[in-house]
Amino acid sequence: MNKQKDNIDLRAVEAFLYDEADYLDSGNLDAWINLYSEDATYWMPVSEDQQDPLGEISILYENRTLMQIRCLNFNHRLAPSFETPVRTSHIIGNVRLLEVESMADFTVRSNFHLVMYFQGEQELFAGTATHHLRFIKHGRRTGFRIYHKRVDLIDCAAPHKSIPIYF
Amino acid sequence: MRLIDADIRALVEADRVHRKVYVDEEIFQLEMQRVWKRAWVFVGHESQVKEAGSFISTTIGTEPVVMVRDKSNEIHVIYNRCGHKGAKVTNKPCGKTPMFRCPYHGWSYNLDGTLNVTPHKVGYEDTGFDKSDTRFHMGKVARVENYRGFVFASQIKEGVNLEEFLGDAKATIDNVLDRAPTGQIEIVGQALLYMHDCNWKMFIENLNDGVHPMVTHASVGDACRKLLGQLPEGASPPPEAEIVFPFGSSYEFFDDMGVSVMPYGHSYMGGQSSIHQDYSDVEGYRDKMVARHGEEKTQQVLAQNRHNTTIYPSFTIKDAIQAIRVARPIAVNKTLVETWHFRLIGAPDALLHRTITYSRLINSPASMVGPDDWNCYARMQEALKSSSNDWVDLHRYLGREEIREGDVTRARGTSDLSMRNQYQAWLTYMASGNCDE
Repeated sequence: MNKQKDNIDLRAVEAFLYDEADYLDSGNLDAWINLYSEDATYWMPVSEDQQDPLGEISILYENRTLMQIRCLNFNHRLAPSFETPVRTSHIIGNVRLLEVESMADFTVRSNFHLVMYFQGEQELFAGTATHHLRFIKHGRRTGFRIYHKRVDLIDCAAPHKSIPIYF
Repeated sequence: MRLIDADIRALVEADRVHRKVYVDEEIFQLEMQRVWKRAWVFVGHESQVKEAGSFISTTIGTEPVVMVRDKSNEIHVIYNRCGHKGAKVTNKPCGKTPMFRCPYHGWSYNLDGTLNVTPHKVGYEDTGFDKSDTRFHMGKVARVENYRGFVFASQIKEGVNLEEFLGDAKATIDNVLDRAPTGQIEIVGQALLYMHDCNWKMFIENLNDGVHPMVTHASVGDACRKLLGQLPEGASPPPEAEIVFPFGSSYEFFDDMGVSVMPYGHSYMGGQSSIHQDYSDVEGYRDKMVARHGEEKTQQVLAQNRHNTTIYPSFTIKDAIQAIRVARPIAVNKTLVETWHFRLIGAPDALLHRTITYSRLINSPASMVGPDDWNCYARMQEALKSSSNDWVDLHRYLGREEIREGDVTRARGTSDLSMRNQYQAWLTYMASGNCDE
């Protein structure tokens, strides 16, 4: 496995994670969702050891359909909470490879700090993101795809105000 | 200023309430004394404390309490306050323990809150200190009653019992239990905790407000429609659509759902029809229900469709979706809303999954529905500071098409009747003297 790890270009993986964060911070959700595979899921558990996204509540657990609806709802002119825009800034670090099935199928974990400005207040989130990535060779769309992302906030079990964004 | 009953009565009129009920600090403190101490407030469900020593910590109004099961299987609700110097004894949201022990000076308590032992007892000898004096205990909340697993507490010794208090709202709890093929339910997982920048009454009043969804939640309906428009022809809509779409229903649909109110401020929307009526069947569920209830009763049970039965002042329960939301007031402009989820024991997992999906889509702080409600409450909380207009309107369908059947009065679904009814209960609690302060 270590050998496999050595074969993965960590700089390219980091660049991919930065791109994702940049799409989110700039509100380019069309580009963002295209980083995800058709069968992708996005999960934000409510407890640190949570294993079951279907039978227990989560802050967020979405398939591609729900992600598309959320992208269409984001900054919608009819949504009272988006009358004033939401802004975010990600800092990503401590990027490390976890499980490496192959160079085309592996898991990477990173830490993030995210500052959000929303409804007149600034809020700080922190946690880890675990990306399950595949490398797809498909003409001009060749590159990494996320097929599962898990976001663990350090205060996932705490009371939260509204969370209108992806992390 | 000391508020007298006449001051409080002047805040509520037949068709409006004074803005002070939402923004005034003194009113909030009085509500904690009079509404939240006198009413039966939801504490927890017995499945949260399954074994001896299991406990949850929560609040009644702004009072920290612990709900705990003792070794003889009795459930107690005791104040989470050390009988010595007043420290909060446990900070854990839940756990299991043979006894409680204060981390400050080590006083320990039995599971019924009585004082077990104080360290270095010699210092108390010949001081008149009496360990059996309840002032030195984690005090018991005055009254605790359990309706079919739902534990409520009232902090005054005298008053109506829980069943009389619940009245026709019992039928919602009964229906949730009837929907379990075993007749039993249990809470699963953690709660979602959603902090609101608003007075507790704004959240409670919105539960049976049938005139906001088509406005406040217009965007998510529009987003869903756009997505369906992008689907290839003949593709079936995603299952989540049946949960989100009804929030964009017409005024006429909500009017026809109707709203029903009852004594003590309780209410619900729907009954036969509701925004939950068109959910698809879950495979294998109906057969299990028929095996338990027979065909006729199964039909009756599944036909009951109440949306947000509001048990004033603290909690709301649905029947077709097995989730409850509990309001925990923190300050005049701060309210914690907890969402808990139930498994219908014996039912297919798919039913639990639907409840969980519903809650993520509607109740989560990260949903596409709750945050728009949140935003509107926060707007009210902020703008009601304005003295330009002291009154908040409650005119809709006032005195029109209100049909009384026994203790229950029904009206059109976009009526403000549920709010007018809540303020009658509010006045009864708030303007009835100082008997227990």
